[in-house]
Amino acid sequence: MTADSTTVPEHSAGMSDDVSAVSAGTAFWGDIPEKPTDGELVQLRNLLFRREIVLLERLRELQDDQRYTARKISEVLAEAIQLRAGKDPLVGLALEPVVDDVVRTLLRKRRGDFVDSLFPLMGPSIRKSIAETFRSMLGSFSKSMEMAFSWKGLRWRFEAMRSGRPFSEIVMLNTLVYRVEQIFFTHGETGIPLAHVASDEVYAQDAEMVSSMFTAIQDFVRSCFAGGGEGDLESLQLGEYTIIIEKKSQAYLACVVRGTPPVAFREQLHATLDFLLLEYADALAEFSGDTAPFAGAAPYLGDCLSSRYVDDDKKLPWWSKALPVLLILVLACGLGYCSYRENLHAQLRQALMEKQKAFTATMESALNVLRAEPGLLVTNVVSGHDAPWEATVLKDALADTPEAVLQVHGIDPKLFSFKSVPYISYDPEIVARRAKTDITLPDTVTMDFDGKGTLSFKGTASMGWIVKTRDEARSLPGVERVDISGLRDPMMDRISALIKEVEATVVEFVLGKDTPVPQDAPKLQKAVDSLVELEKIVQDMGFTVTLTVYGHADATGTEKRNYEISQARTRTVAAMLYARGSAMPIAMYGMGAVYPKDGQPAAPAQNSGQGDQASRRVELRVHVMRSAAADPESLLLSQP
Amino acid sequence: MISKKICMLGSFSVGKTALVARYVHSIFSDKYLSTVGVKISKKNVSSGGKDFSLILWDLEGKDLYADVNLSYLRGAMGFFTVADGTRKETLEAALELRKAAHDTVGQIPGYLLINKEDLSDAWEVTDAMLDNLTRQGIKYFRTSAKTGLAVEEAFTSLARDMLQNA
Repeated sequence: MTADSTTVPEHSAGMSDDVSAVSAGTAFWGDIPEKPTDGELVQLRNLLFRREIVLLERLRELQDDQRYTARKISEVLAEAIQLRAGKDPLVGLALEPVVDDVVRTLLRKRRGDFVDSLFPLMGPSIRKSIAETFRSMLGSFSKSMEMAFSWKGLRWRFEAMRSGRPFSEIVMLNTLVYRVEQIFFTHGETGIPLAHVASDEVYAQDAEMVSSMFTAIQDFVRSCFAGGGEGDLESLQLGEYTIIIEKKSQAYLACVVRGTPPVAFREQLHATLDFLLLEYADALAEFSGDTAPFAGAAPYLGDCLSSRYVDDDKKLPWWSKALPVLLILVLACGLGYCSYRENLHAQLRQALMEKQKAFTATMESALNVLRAEPGLLVTNVVSGHDAPWEATVLKDALADTPEAVLQVHGIDPKLFSFKSVPYISYDPEIVARRAKTDITLPDTVTMDFDGKGTLSFKGTASMGWIVKTRDEARSLPGVERVDISGLRDPMMDRISALIKEVEATVVEFVLGKDTPVPQDAPKLQKAVDSLVELEKIVQDMGFTVTLTVYGHADATGTEKRNYEISQARTRTVAAMLYARGSAMPIAMYGMGAVYPKDGQPAAPAQNSGQGDQASRRVELRVHVMRSAAADPESLLLSQP
Repeated sequence: MISKKICMLGSFSVGKTALVARYVHSIFSDKYLSTVGVKISKKNVSSGGKDFSLILWDLEGKDLYADVNLSYLRGAMGFFTVADGTRKETLEAALELRKAAHDTVGQIPGYLLINKEDLSDAWEVTDAMLDNLTRQGIKYFRTSAKTGLAVEEAFTSLARDMLQNA
């Protein structure tokens, strides 16, 4: 192209220099004498060739007219390109840099247009590419599945095991029709590889040494068997390997092929070598060991790295293609089911845990109810995931049963299985309950337990009841003190009144006699009546009344007489009592004149003969005691 | 990558293979194995800031009955003719081969290696002969594949010459 383009301007320049001359210095006009030397000759020429000269002049003008030339070329340009393109790839190669530049410029200037144009193409391209990738992936997956599960696959695996070779190699040996493993594009004379490609699966040795060796072998074979003459080594065979050599004068292609390549492969090699020789004609001619100019040859060689495996798709049952998809589906379903189950399990576990938690909470609250219940003591609980729990409960006889307690609180008593152990509770409520149970209160009495050990009574009751109840209350477990200060016996009031009345009675006596003075006789009578009543009252209450009578005399008379008379006066009172039917024990003390009325014994000199009437008297003292048969302890109701 | 083809020429048993082994692998073996055809080795070298590889074609030795296959020389960019210092006829053969090589591939760099310098006591090649070589303008090295004497130097020198020639 470069050579051609430089020739054209030179050509036209030569023409323009000789515009005036008929014969221009070109090859076409070359035979015509350049300049006439003789005027006659010119004349003669004009005479003879006038017409032709004008014609030629016109032709020359046309030739010089670039527009004309362009028009003419344009008429045949398309056919010319078509013709040349059919012959060799040089048109394409010549146009390549131009088209390259044009595309680059367009891309730079009209990027938007390109994007718009490419946009509708990109989607389908990407889809197709993805689909293709998936298809090949599924294909290789099917292949692997078949290898893994088929009888053939197992057989090959066994073979691999037996021979110690890798399984992949066995598979390849059994399925490979051919595989072009390496291609060397080698300089014919030096044996130096100009370009070299190897398939990904193979280990490529040093290309320079292998290539040189191929060259040497060819030289060797040619010199040995062809006498150094014509003819080339076309192929070498070693076991399953074939080395195919496609040779031209300057360079050759050597292909290492495993298996048997198709016939068309050699044609492909032939065409590739032709193309390479044309493409790198200059570089080959100037070659001196530098392989850099041939770097672009590798992709062309790469096109020849083909391979074919036994296509046994047809032998596969229809379902084998669906198998991977099916397997993936099954796997996905399995995974989905597992995850669903797992999820369900988790939910169930959660629900179960919550249920268990709620259950435990119920049980605990039930236990708390029992613990709060007076008279019940939960000592041991054997808990579990399910009801009933076993609970050991100490129970006071007066406490409600644990079952009843739970029922009252709305809890199912069947949640527990109770083991009841009796015990006595000192819980205030139970103590109060115990007091109520054990002590029968009359309507007139109220009882109260303060929770601190004191049981107190209020109201009116008979003394007998009071004393009995006091004793009973003291023996109640949980009761430390009994307060009966609020209790009153109405009969006691009467007894006290009677005792007071009796003890206030002083009966004076007639001088020297054991008869009371007349004005005091009713007093004595009244006192005796009171004593009789008192005796009756206390007898009903289980008590005994004892009377002590102190008899006194005045200072008149002798001491002995005074003792006798004071004694006699006490007997008067006793006789009166007994006369009234009283059985009360009476202690009678004749005091003589030792205790005069005012405390000072009268001097005998002052004795007026009438004596001191106030000192001649009896005084009564009453003791009420618990009956000896009932209780030896005496109950003092009044001070002596 | 620049590759240069170098041929080793010479009579049998002068030590061509040993010289290549010494140069490429830095090893020497007393064991003699006659080369049949050609043996190819490669050495990557660097000279004048350029990396290139020397492809060494170790040709089979010439003997009385078999001539060297000169077609191996095609495309060579340099060569060594090797002689055995203890056998003077090998020097003559080397000189013959040198001429043949130049006739075949033209005026490419080519050195003469007179090997087995380690056996210099037994040398038949005399100083007079060597002087004669110098007079003829033939560049030679006295080498020893066994000790490695001048081996590296000879190859490096040839490589340099080839690069200049290119």
